[in-house]
Amino acid sequence: MREIQLPLSQTQKVRLQKALETLESLSRKVNSDASVIVADSIHVNHEDGVLKGHGTADLNGEVVATLCGVVERVNKLVYVRALRAKYKPEVGDIVIGRVVEVAQKRWRLYINYNQDAVLMLSSMNMPDGVQRRRTALDELNMRRIFEEKDVVCAEVRGFQYDGLHLQARSRKYGKLNRGQLLTVPPYLVKRQKQHFHHLEEFGIDLILGCNGFVWVGEHVEAKDDMIEDEVSQSDHQVLLPNKNSVSLEEQEKNYTILETRKYICRAANAVRVLSTLGFNITLEIIKGIIDLSLSMNIDIHDMLGSEFGVLVAEKEAERRSSNKKKR
Amino acid sequence: MAGKSGATPATYSPSLTTSDKKKKPPLFNEDWVRPDGRAFQQCRPAFFRTGAVNAASGSAYAEFGNTKVIVSVFGPRESKKAMMYSDIGRLNCNVSFTTFATPVRGQGSDHKEYSAMLHKALEGAIILETFPKTTVDVFALVLESSGSELPVIISCASLALADAGIMMYDLVASVSVSCFSKNLVIDPISEEENNQDGSLMITCMPSRYEITQLTVTGEWSTPKINEGMQLCLDACGKLAKIMRSCLKEAASDSQE
Repeated sequence: MREIQLPLSQTQKVRLQKALETLESLSRKVNSDASVIVADSIHVNHEDGVLKGHGTADLNGEVVATLCGVVERVNKLVYVRALRAKYKPEVGDIVIGRVVEVAQKRWRLYINYNQDAVLMLSSMNMPDGVQRRRTALDELNMRRIFEEKDVVCAEVRGFQYDGLHLQARSRKYGKLNRGQLLTVPPYLVKRQKQHFHHLEEFGIDLILGCNGFVWVGEHVEAKDDMIEDEVSQSDHQVLLPNKNSVSLEEQEKNYTILETRKYICRAANAVRVLSTLGFNITLEIIKGIIDLSLSMNIDIHDMLGSEFGVLVAEKEAERRSSNKKKR
Repeated sequence: MAGKSGATPATYSPSLTTSDKKKKPPLFNEDWVRPDGRAFQQCRPAFFRTGAVNAASGSAYAEFGNTKVIVSVFGPRESKKAMMYSDIGRLNCNVSFTTFATPVRGQGSDHKEYSAMLHKALEGAIILETFPKTTVDVFALVLESSGSELPVIISCASLALADAGIMMYDLVASVSVSCFSKNLVIDPISEEENNQDGSLMITCMPSRYEITQLTVTGEWSTPKINEGMQLCLDACGKLAKIMRSCLKEAASDSQE
């Protein structure tokens, strides 16, 4: 993460500093001076025996860091957690990716990992909702499902010999449209029980991808009740999709009303503020920021200004300290 | 000669280098002063800052006197070129100059030789085994060049790599010296580089005391080389200290 880059006036600077200090005092003190940079030697007690973990190397019997980051110790294991690193997938993570390539029976997705992730045609539900073998025809029609540059939501399935595999075996996964994709540092998104959120009062969906991709878009109904309709039309859909001639009806269906668009922008800016301040991104905090901005009548574009940033930092400090007291 | 150049259209200006060469040598005798008023064994003030480019996974900016360089690191990411499976990662380096880097407006093109040298200097320091099948791209852009670009690029690139969270054995610091008959001049500027008898560049990992690259050009005697190497190694150690303090600063900032 970077220094907070906001043009601040003197008073704002003081206020921000104060808020950050409160936050710091609330956080654990354990790691406060454990930051290392490349080739720093890490102090260990050799008598206890050490396990050298990620980001460490051996130099003349000394343990040295090979990464810039924070030293973490778990029993005998000593490792360095990098400050700015790419996303490390874990099985079951919900991620959002961008299609970079349509290949043989698979899509390749950019998910901010070392390698592109693979989404097999066979490991996703067909849009018509029928369970069947994927035919050669399906393969030819893959671009009708996802194209290059589409934003797709999926789940990490696991590592196979040819890379990282994803799956999208549910209605909630799939192509995302009518919204905004935001990229934040992956460590700001913590793994939670729920990553799909529907903010009913605003009519928007919020998906927090574990890879630091956050989707804010118009709410889409989970289309379970529509499966039957679509099955009857499935032949149409597979065989005669006419991409270029979108009917007027279709256009109307795809139209997002202004109100919703504004809420989408508001939520997106809330995420942006959080990422510039380096706060964790959770539903509760985002909701808090949207409510704050609405109650104070702050314009959408002013949410990115320094005044609002300072305000959010103060609010967050307040929230955390009150949480602490409750405990 | 003068009449000839007067007759040619104004758009053509003959290069001044030939006449310069004749004038310069007396300047570089026993008691000359360096153009920027430094002592022979004094480096230019160095400035480093990480995080110059937001889109990159890691980046650094370096300024040595008037030499200004920005390096951005992308990756590790999937190798774009279809290639054989490899157990170790690939390092891809590219050095380019802006059109306004030199006093004479240039083409601002890639510099093949520097790219290759940068690659050689860095590949020994990076633990390539940690990212198999992937590529790390290092793009260096020289914003303003006034001598000793390559050492600056190399030092700056290693800082950018560290910023990107790529595993390395140590930071890489690089310093060059120029030789003028009897004198050794550290961290030469372009004017000095143009008139040097020989140059020596050392790229090393100071905390391990290992050298990743050594380049010698021109005339050198063995004792001179020894002296030059000592000078460089000493300067590398000091340079690395500055680089480390820059990284430390960045790390403590993000701790907040």
